[in-house]
Amino acid sequence: MFEPEKFVDESIKQLQETIDGPTIIACSGGVDSTVTAVLLHKAIGKNLKCIFVDTGMMRKNEPEQVSKMFESLGIPLKVIDAKRDFIDALHDVVEPEKKRKIIGELFIRIFEKEAKKVKAKYLAQGTLAPDWIESGGQLRDTIKSHHNVGGLPERMNLKLIEPVRDLYKDEVRRVAEYLGIPKEVYSKQPFPGPGLAVRVLGEVTEEKIEIVREACAIVEEELEKAAEEGKMKLPWQYFAVLMPIKSVGVHGDTRAYGYVISVRAVDSTDGMTADYSHVPHEVLHKISIRITNTMKDKVNRVVYDITSKPPGTIEWE
Amino acid sequence: MMKILVVNLGGQWTHRIWRRLNYLGCESAIIEPDTPIEKLGDVDGLVLSGGAVRIGSGGEKIVKHVASYLDNLGKPIVGLCAGHQFMAIHFGGTSEPAKIPEYGQVEIEVLNENDLFKGIPKKFTAWASHNDEVTSAPGFEVLAKSRDCKIEAMRHKKMPLYGIQFHPEVEHTKYGEKIFENFVGVCKR
Repeated sequence: MFEPEKFVDESIKQLQETIDGPTIIACSGGVDSTVTAVLLHKAIGKNLKCIFVDTGMMRKNEPEQVSKMFESLGIPLKVIDAKRDFIDALHDVVEPEKKRKIIGELFIRIFEKEAKKVKAKYLAQGTLAPDWIESGGQLRDTIKSHHNVGGLPERMNLKLIEPVRDLYKDEVRRVAEYLGIPKEVYSKQPFPGPGLAVRVLGEVTEEKIEIVREACAIVEEELEKAAEEGKMKLPWQYFAVLMPIKSVGVHGDTRAYGYVISVRAVDSTDGMTADYSHVPHEVLHKISIRITNTMKDKVNRVVYDITSKPPGTIEWE
Repeated sequence: MMKILVVNLGGQWTHRIWRRLNYLGCESAIIEPDTPIEKLGDVDGLVLSGGAVRIGSGGEKIVKHVASYLDNLGKPIVGLCAGHQFMAIHFGGTSEPAKIPEYGQVEIEVLNENDLFKGIPKKFTAWASHNDEVTSAPGFEVLAKSRDCKIEAMRHKKMPLYGIQFHPEVEHTKYGEKIFENFVGVCKR
């Protein structure tokens, strides 16, 4: 069995034995990096510097929520605005692996710069088992390069600290609960490190990021509402993906030509296998109507993804 | 405490095997497939993981060292997916690209519960992910099949060697933990 208490005690002890100086940690506000931050905060206290990079690829209102959450945990957080850098670096990039590598490297360059300022030798990350598993190595094929593993450059001056790398999402959530991290944080659905960049299939533009951000917000709101009303179980992960194609529609007797949104909702425990969620048709219908009405000039068609993992993955890129 | 090691053939779910064994209270570790048999120490059993290696079309050469465990360990071994296919061809059988591969949900039909499927319904859903499949396995008895795969599980007629084509280590396979528990039971004998 997995025992959070034992895990926490052993981790803190090991972190104290390994780390002998300033350490920076990459925080996204998700459960993996927040658990890592709290473990390190307990282990090395003031030697820990938490950094949050605003990539511009986060969900609606996310950067503000993350800052508030760290305030409530009593851990100082430095916010770095890198919105311009990320969107510029992704200009004209279509291939998903290339996107992920560019994003991973950009993150590291920012952390290296920040590490220099505080003379840190260590970079802590909330890397989970699926991150390094899917990033490939030895006989293992690369399914997708997770930004915190496969995106790392070959030469870097920081030593990596990854205390939760043998855990899966269900386990890290139990550790979070044991550590007293707020439920909103540990029950929050997973969100990929490269953010909305991998939910815009093909080339990423500011316009497309805005479309998918809004669509994701609608999917989240409607599914959370339906779950609260007892119409369904809240899926493990649920979001919208912007297809790189347009289709024909009709708006008030006029021809429309707009993007297609795919709604994805899956049930899983650890992210390593998943089944598509059996969302009631009335809920899907509501999502479809809301997306196409509110984004009338951009989107005129919504589809639902009924693929499990495998053969699909949860995110599309 | 039982010690059961996981031989890593490069699967996406190798670490999940380690987790299953840990949850069942076994001492476990993931080892590379070229680890000399003397270095395994005092083990009670082995699990051969799945992997991207194409067994039957050359991949078996990449992990050929695994043969020494099958021939000389003298302890129970279960091969999953690629591990299962390797086991079949090592004993003179064949593994070939499946006409209809299986990715995701598949219905398993148990033909002979033997040790592995004790306490499990005759039909259950499992998760699979394979391009190749075992097409013949002399010396083995078939324990389970699916619509598109004739040998979903097998057991050697004389030795405690088992093969499973689907993936009992993943969360979506119903009774996956029970199958592992049954294998640990075999290792205890």
